[in-house]
Amino acid sequence: MNNPEEKISFHGRRLLSRRNFLGQAGLSLGALSLSQLLAKDEGMFGKAPIRPDIDPNNPYTPRGAHFDVPAKQVLVIYCPGAVSHVDTFDYKPALIKMHGQKPPNIPAVTFEGPTGNIAKPFWDFKPRGQTGKMVSDLLPNLAEQVDDFCFIHSLTTQTSAHPQGENFMNTGFTMEGFPSFGAWCTYALGSENEELPAFVAINDPRGLARSGKNNFGNGFLPAAFQGTDFNAKNPPSNLVRPEGLSASDDKSTVDLLQRLNAGHLEQFPGDADLAARIASYELAGKMQTSIPEIMGIENEPGSIHKEYGTDQGSDLKREYAKNCILARRLVEKGVRVVQLFNGSDPSGGNGITNWDSHANIADTHAMQAEIMDQPTAALINDLKRRGLLDQTLVVWCTEFGRMPFLQGNGTGRDHNPDAFTCFMTGAGVKKGFSYGESDEFGFKAAVNPTTVYDFNATLLHLMGLDHERLSFYHNGIERRLTNVHGHVVKDVLA
Amino acid sequence: MTTLSKITLSLILPLGISQLGAEDTIDFRRDIEPILEKHCIACHGPDEVESDFRVDRKATLIGGGGSGIETVLPGDPIGSYLIELVREPDEEYRMPYEEDAVPEAEIALLEKWIQEGAKLPDDFEEEAELGTVDHWSLIAVERPEVPKVKDAANPIDAFLLEKLDEKGLAYNPAADARSLIRRTSILMTGLPPSAEQVETFSKAYARNEDRAYTRLVDELLESPHFGERWAQHWLDVIRWAETNGSEANLYRKNAWFYRDYVVNAFNEDKPYDQFVREQLAGDQLGAGEATGFIVAGPHVPAATVGREPSAIRQARADRMDEIMQTVGASMMGMTVSCARCHNHKFDPISIKDYYSLTALFQGIEFGSRFPEIAEDDPARRDYSQLDGDLEAIRSTLTKEAGVWQEDWHGWNDVYFPPIKTSKARITFKTKNVRIDELDIYGPEHPELNLAASKQGTVATTPKAIFNNLGPPSNINDGIKGTMNWRPIKEMPEGVWPSVSFEFPKPQLINHLKVSSNRQYFFETEYLTSYSPGSPKKFVFEVMNESGAWVEIASTEDLDQQIKENESLAVHHENLQATIDAVLEQGPQPSFVGQFIDPVTSYVFHRGSPENPKQEVAPAGFDSLEGDLGLDSSSPDPQRRMKFAEWLTEPDHPLTARVMANRVWSHIFGTGIVATPSDFGTVGAPPTNQVLLDWLAAEFVEPTVTGGESWSVKNLIRTILMTDAFRQSSAPREDGLAEDGSALYLWRFPPRRVEAEVIRDGILQASGKLDPRLGGKSFRIHNEKKTYAQWQVVDNHGPHSWRRMLYQERMRRVDDQIFTAFDFPDCGQVRSKRPVSTTPLQALNLMNSPFAMEQAGFIAERAKQTSNDDDVAATKELFNILLGREPNADELEASLEVARNGGLELVSRSLINSNEFAFLP
Repeated sequence: MNNPEEKISFHGRRLLSRRNFLGQAGLSLGALSLSQLLAKDEGMFGKAPIRPDIDPNNPYTPRGAHFDVPAKQVLVIYCPGAVSHVDTFDYKPALIKMHGQKPPNIPAVTFEGPTGNIAKPFWDFKPRGQTGKMVSDLLPNLAEQVDDFCFIHSLTTQTSAHPQGENFMNTGFTMEGFPSFGAWCTYALGSENEELPAFVAINDPRGLARSGKNNFGNGFLPAAFQGTDFNAKNPPSNLVRPEGLSASDDKSTVDLLQRLNAGHLEQFPGDADLAARIASYELAGKMQTSIPEIMGIENEPGSIHKEYGTDQGSDLKREYAKNCILARRLVEKGVRVVQLFNGSDPSGGNGITNWDSHANIADTHAMQAEIMDQPTAALINDLKRRGLLDQTLVVWCTEFGRMPFLQGNGTGRDHNPDAFTCFMTGAGVKKGFSYGESDEFGFKAAVNPTTVYDFNATLLHLMGLDHERLSFYHNGIERRLTNVHGHVVKDVLA
Repeated sequence: MTTLSKITLSLILPLGISQLGAEDTIDFRRDIEPILEKHCIACHGPDEVESDFRVDRKATLIGGGGSGIETVLPGDPIGSYLIELVREPDEEYRMPYEEDAVPEAEIALLEKWIQEGAKLPDDFEEEAELGTVDHWSLIAVERPEVPKVKDAANPIDAFLLEKLDEKGLAYNPAADARSLIRRTSILMTGLPPSAEQVETFSKAYARNEDRAYTRLVDELLESPHFGERWAQHWLDVIRWAETNGSEANLYRKNAWFYRDYVVNAFNEDKPYDQFVREQLAGDQLGAGEATGFIVAGPHVPAATVGREPSAIRQARADRMDEIMQTVGASMMGMTVSCARCHNHKFDPISIKDYYSLTALFQGIEFGSRFPEIAEDDPARRDYSQLDGDLEAIRSTLTKEAGVWQEDWHGWNDVYFPPIKTSKARITFKTKNVRIDELDIYGPEHPELNLAASKQGTVATTPKAIFNNLGPPSNINDGIKGTMNWRPIKEMPEGVWPSVSFEFPKPQLINHLKVSSNRQYFFETEYLTSYSPGSPKKFVFEVMNESGAWVEIASTEDLDQQIKENESLAVHHENLQATIDAVLEQGPQPSFVGQFIDPVTSYVFHRGSPENPKQEVAPAGFDSLEGDLGLDSSSPDPQRRMKFAEWLTEPDHPLTARVMANRVWSHIFGTGIVATPSDFGTVGAPPTNQVLLDWLAAEFVEPTVTGGESWSVKNLIRTILMTDAFRQSSAPREDGLAEDGSALYLWRFPPRRVEAEVIRDGILQASGKLDPRLGGKSFRIHNEKKTYAQWQVVDNHGPHSWRRMLYQERMRRVDDQIFTAFDFPDCGQVRSKRPVSTTPLQALNLMNSPFAMEQAGFIAERAKQTSNDDDVAATKELFNILLGREPNADELEASLEVARNGGLELVSRSLINSNEFAFLP
């Protein structure tokens, strides 16, 4: 009976035989945990994973990167809705020349429907800074800092739909349920500040972006690595001591709890799970102090408020400006990942909710830029002034670009997945540098096309992490932020 | 045109690569092998086998490697993948990878070789050597001999003790009565035992351990809460949720029918093979709602996919992949999706297998239908009564009015006397209309939509109101939902929106059906931006033989008649009341999948629907004899049924093993295979394969335990009766040193309980838990605009005091209390929840309105039974929450807190305590 091959078809045997080199794991393993059970991953998925050594008592204790890099922290400024590259940072004089024409190679239908004619940029471009980088008048404040920025003009994505695009930029997959970039970073690196969450998602005053929590979720990584969601206005839910409960009563509950837990732990000496839970209550207590403290931006000097613009312009701009100050304070305190959103889902309020501009782009982009430009520029400048850019990578990004031609309605630009622009600045990246090019219309990436996989591989590299070795076993695969793709764009490294 | 003409003899060829005259024939050794050795063999030979492709093996050199695509089509160089790869303009995909391209002259030689039949020398390596090792999980189960082990209470203990003995370990002593009942109750029902249950059991246990425990197990298995607990596990695996996910994250109407099906299936102890069959083909087995399984995963609705044809194809492929993940992870324990873009790297699943498996489900689309119910279902009887009433009113109206309108909320029907015409027109008396579909029926074939473009009917709209965002072809394309017909926004003065239908030949018609978004009515609810129904004011005309429009029905006239004619008004009132009753008590649409005509399936090269290669028949895995005798013409129901039968054959190597292991995993915290949805080579090897095989064999064919075949309850009972389960969870030095995670069960492994157990346990302790089973999920969120995020509105009020299983399960939405406790976001399959500990959990359980309020209720309850005696009340509080009295130290500390700030503070401490949150 014992020829196992008889129970399997010829085809099956053939497939199996090719995998002999993998060998069969023996069953005489010693003390095992799941990761040990799965320890035969050497070589199986390419490079062997580097597993972070996580202290169950405090999952946020700092851990070493895979290799030495200047960046210790990362700030991601995410602009949902898709910022028009051809109206901001990607100067295309051909659009001016071809304005109003419809060359034959324009597709008949794009994401939202029939296409219209080529449109010149809605704002004038001028050379800026020492480098003379062409930037439009839409973003005058950011334009002043181009000498510090490193642009990628040849980004491409896999989808022209916002939620999938957000997922792809932020989690490396268009589908749902994968860990976000921030979760991967905190999983690998822990945090320098153990009294604040390791990863903070500062959501737009108007609400969450279209992919909601997925943009800063932990996916299948432990929940400890999800982004904690708060902004300058709203603390994390349930942070604040409940109304009607006095501080002393609160404290006596906590003290009693820890006493009960200590007694219980005696029955299970050294149990890491129980100890971790005790520690989590201590950490929660610290956060009840540290988070309101960090949210106290009213204590910032007037000059800072003025610089960021918390007292000028639209209400939305003021709110966003406060979020920018919060972002700086978090970076200052050593929070590992700060993700700052400039836009929400399409129902967030006041008619404009994000950068999406299918109609009247001249108005919608202008309104959104008014909110984003000054506070963001002030934030980057402030970080620079405080020397924080030496150890902080700043990333400005969006899910895709917009078309060089108008939609059928003649006033808006549709989604462009084949060419868009993001920039980075700060620790580890070149200054005043532009990488890659889109074609003469900004329609498709032309020189050094850079996929989102490449982009994410590069971001991880800048954080000292090898995107091929930062992985987590989930349902049959060592999952990575970059799936099985991605090349680090070495040219942008300082 | 042929690429052979590209051979340019004047090219200077590198040394070692031959030059040929046009008449020379290729000699493989002389002309081709050097090229392969120069460019290919380093990565595709004996040293490295990238993509499972070797150029020194005939099988792969010709037949293809991991991509599943044949490399060489003899005689057809242009169609050969090898040539495509070396000519690929995109460097990312070109071969050799990250090297210079193969020179044109060498490519020409390869082409010529293929053109001439791709002949290989006789002594070329014929076959890869056949291996002798197979993967254990793919070999049929052989019931193992039970080892003879002293003191083993039953076969499971014998297998376990044998292993433990090898490690020099043994079981812990038996658990105390309180721990045992707490553990067993939580694992079986998700609810901790009440103080009374603990007391009763402890006394009975003291008298006769075995009898008391056997009775406890029997009671728990018969508890209606058993099904709720085990449904939760199953729903996790398939990431079932009541929203679509993605941007709009729309609520899936009546998706909960499936949740209740699963609860009932576990409660009734539906044989597992039947459970599997019904979920795949319940429409044919009188359990239509069971197919909610197939569409459990997330999907992106059409409106968010966009209008590019390639994006639409990609979205369909993504939905098929969600189905593959669901079926693969839950029933097969295989990571099927890994073969979507190339042959599975580790398991014997080829890309062809993957697309064969998708072919089984090509007849399914994400959406709603009326679930099929059994012939003898009582609901059928109630409905047929209403159906009769409706027909009676309709026949009265036919006689007395001739024309009438029915409002079915999701659409309107207008009936009128039969008339023959070749052209019909509807004019809406509302400017801003959006119509997804308008159907026209005749008395001869009342189910056949004569307006459909499929029937050759053409819909047109006046030029002046044409809007290219919603052309009139949308009104009769059979696609319901957001892809609608709409006129331009700024309508010319005095013009009403209208659409004309021209039939290919004169048709007898008597009925039209019009809707603005029939899909949303069937599939979703809780949207403020969508009100079901369609414009109720319009005129319907047909063209007579002399080419003039004749009015057939006008809603305005109809309203006027009703106003003037009392008897007609009464009939209409009755009509609408009956329709409303049918909508409420009759069959309801439910998001359990829609049936569509299956298309032919192809292997998608690199997973891209833009690159279809060979056709595949619907089938199971080739390596598991998965040929089901089906082909591309097989009807959808047959495909799924055949697959279900294949999967539940008693000797299928995976089905029973995977479920037995799943059950084990939920009981002991870790499966015998620690990766319950991956029984492949990358998954964890079994810690005790003979035990798992014995369990699987006993599950399918009980010989020792004497229960029914495939009985999940019997399987569970067998496991619960072991000493392994009944032992204490106390730590022991030798055990911790040898087997820290207690995978070999030298103790019962303690662990934190899930979100549901904490929440439901609190509600039970406060006496507020509404224990009723099933039904519509309770809501904690708002009603929202289509493209808004769900907001938590009330996550703690009395309406929410049901078991958490019934809290609407929204993909990636935070309920602001319990989702923080590793509650899955339902984006990915989750065979086992991680247990992580975070400060947010602590904050939620300390400060949320739910926790504060319930802590107060629990304290109140403790006080009620203790006549203002705070010592008695404190003791009662411990009994309620922990099933035990406080020790002296705890009592003293608690009393001090209670006397200073109130007993609810003690209650708050206890619901946060480790003891409350851990399975003992």
